[in-house]
Amino acid sequence: MRKSARKAKLAASKTAVPKAGLSKTTLLKKPAGNPAKVTIRKLSTGVPGLDDILGGGVPEFSLNVLAGAPGCGKTTLAHQIAFASATPKKPALYFTVLGEPVLKMMRYQQQFSFFDETKLGNAVRFINLSDVVLQKDLAAVLEEIIAQVTAANAGVVVLDSFRTLARKANSDVGEVEVQSFLHRLAQFLTSWQATTFLVGEYVEDEIRDNSLFTMVDGIIWLSQVTERNSVVRKLQVMKLRGQATVPGLHTIRITEEGLQAFSRTLGLMGDKLKPARRQRLSTGIPDLDTMLGGGILEGDSVLVAGPSGTGKSALATQFIAEGLRLGEPGIMAIFEERPQGYARRADSFGLTLKSAEQKGTLELLYLRPLDLSVDETMQAILDAIKRVDAKRLVIDSLVGFEMALAPGFRTDFRESLYRMIGALTGAGITILSTVEVEDNFISLQFSHYAISFLTDDIIRLRYVEIDGQLRKMMVVIKMRGGNHSKDIREYVITDKGVVVIHPRRTDYAEMSTGIPHRTGPRRAQENEAAPEPKASM
Amino acid sequence: MRSVALRLINYETLKNGASETGTAATFPMTERLRPHLATLMGNGGFRALLARALVLASAEVSWLRKVIVNADGALEGLETPYAQLKPAEFRDGQVVLLAQLLRLLVAFIGPVMTLRLMGEIWPQLAADNVDFGNGDKK
Repeated sequence: MRKSARKAKLAASKTAVPKAGLSKTTLLKKPAGNPAKVTIRKLSTGVPGLDDILGGGVPEFSLNVLAGAPGCGKTTLAHQIAFASATPKKPALYFTVLGEPVLKMMRYQQQFSFFDETKLGNAVRFINLSDVVLQKDLAAVLEEIIAQVTAANAGVVVLDSFRTLARKANSDVGEVEVQSFLHRLAQFLTSWQATTFLVGEYVEDEIRDNSLFTMVDGIIWLSQVTERNSVVRKLQVMKLRGQATVPGLHTIRITEEGLQAFSRTLGLMGDKLKPARRQRLSTGIPDLDTMLGGGILEGDSVLVAGPSGTGKSALATQFIAEGLRLGEPGIMAIFEERPQGYARRADSFGLTLKSAEQKGTLELLYLRPLDLSVDETMQAILDAIKRVDAKRLVIDSLVGFEMALAPGFRTDFRESLYRMIGALTGAGITILSTVEVEDNFISLQFSHYAISFLTDDIIRLRYVEIDGQLRKMMVVIKMRGGNHSKDIREYVITDKGVVVIHPRRTDYAEMSTGIPHRTGPRRAQENEAAPEPKASM
Repeated sequence: MRSVALRLINYETLKNGASETGTAATFPMTERLRPHLATLMGNGGFRALLARALVLASAEVSWLRKVIVNADGALEGLETPYAQLKPAEFRDGQVVLLAQLLRLLVAFIGPVMTLRLMGEIWPQLAADNVDFGNGDKK
């Protein structure tokens, strides 16, 4: 190879490969036939779920605003980003300005698990600018920031609160000076290859008039939405130059781990297609499997609807237990009953769930806290599915699920449910959801949610009055993937769980109303044996 | 906490010699801490913290009541007690005040972070297995 060619090749390889030890660099990519474009690398925020919402993370060297009313989690978010992205070589400088006293801030922030004390002083450094701001002008503030950033070789810079600084400066020197300061600050920090976050207490109306929002590359808006007695935290990426973000309001939650974000489109992206040939899964009730044409199709969403006491939870437990017996791990998302009660009932049917839980093939998720969002619930379920590699999922029940949601989410329940079920079945999970419906003895209601469009199969349980008894009947209403029995079958709940008895009855009409009438002559019979003992009076 | 304070004073004595730590009408330890803590919490924050520590220390060492924290966060009024007291008594005041300052830091930000902050000034502290969480009252 000629010397010049070797040189060119070496130069090209240096352009394409990041330097060792640098996790974030700007590279040139040159797709064939197109001029080279810069690749903007992204910083991970360290906030679970947020990088996906941002379209991969925060663009490197960008200038961003973390805005919102007090108490929305701005400072926590800024800390989380700082701790996630800082290294001793490219530290994060956290400038505090006339806001929360630093000792208090550190006192509270260290409670979060992301707050790594070992990074303090080297990778994450706190610098108080209050004295400079109070005693000097904006030029001195800028000078101090430049001196600190230069001395530390900072990779991430946080100014908390920028709003306080701007307000003070506005009253002293006017808006133009503040803009000029911001312009020079942005120019320096970008040239210095620092990614910057300006934290501020802003209200949405200010976006129109405040030139800050025009100048910055990104705006992450945090808010708290109150509806009736519930408060839900929300996050919106109002602006982020250079990359596609997920639009809309996303739920966030602050726990001891810090912030966690739940994308409102969680589950709509990256769906796997259901396999062309799907096997049928047994429900654990042989006669019901026959009624379903051999079982539930893998990846289907099944709705079991019926009034209270008809055995919906028992049927759901049998479905999971049968899966466990066949080596298919499962998840039971329970909203109405405590896991212990669930496990006890399963024990009474001879379906011990405890051993599966201990083996890690079953998780009982008790999701009862109020003010949940569907996205959080979905994340909890998706995480559990990943943990146990689940093939079957029970949601017991949709009514309990709705009750656990914050009122603001209940209005979107159907849409959210559609998204959630689509995401889960798309991932090949077979879902059995239960829903309580009231029998009205006039018609056969499937669900008051009108959600049959999002279920592949519907099994309806109902009470029917026969011979002075309220007996239980089941019928398969719908099966998207194939033919099914149209028989209305009587069943009982025994110590084995739900057991289908009797072939379909031909001697009654209008069974579906719950008050059938005999159509044929009454067969000569002794007293018909009751399937369940009648109460003695 | 007194033992930790004493140890820090000893570090400083070894570093600078007795002239700076024990034989002048100053509290060099608080002066040493001032720029570090002021960077973190501002001069005002440091001043407030030191003033609180001084009040708490005065309950144990009565002559500290005549000492004040000025606007810059420096201690004033040390000359008279320095001239009147025995060196050991003056030093005791230094130890108690520093111990109270450390105790306040531990109360606010916990022993781990206090140790890290102090470790930035006196790196030998980490190697000495100093325990800021032992809660000694002396």
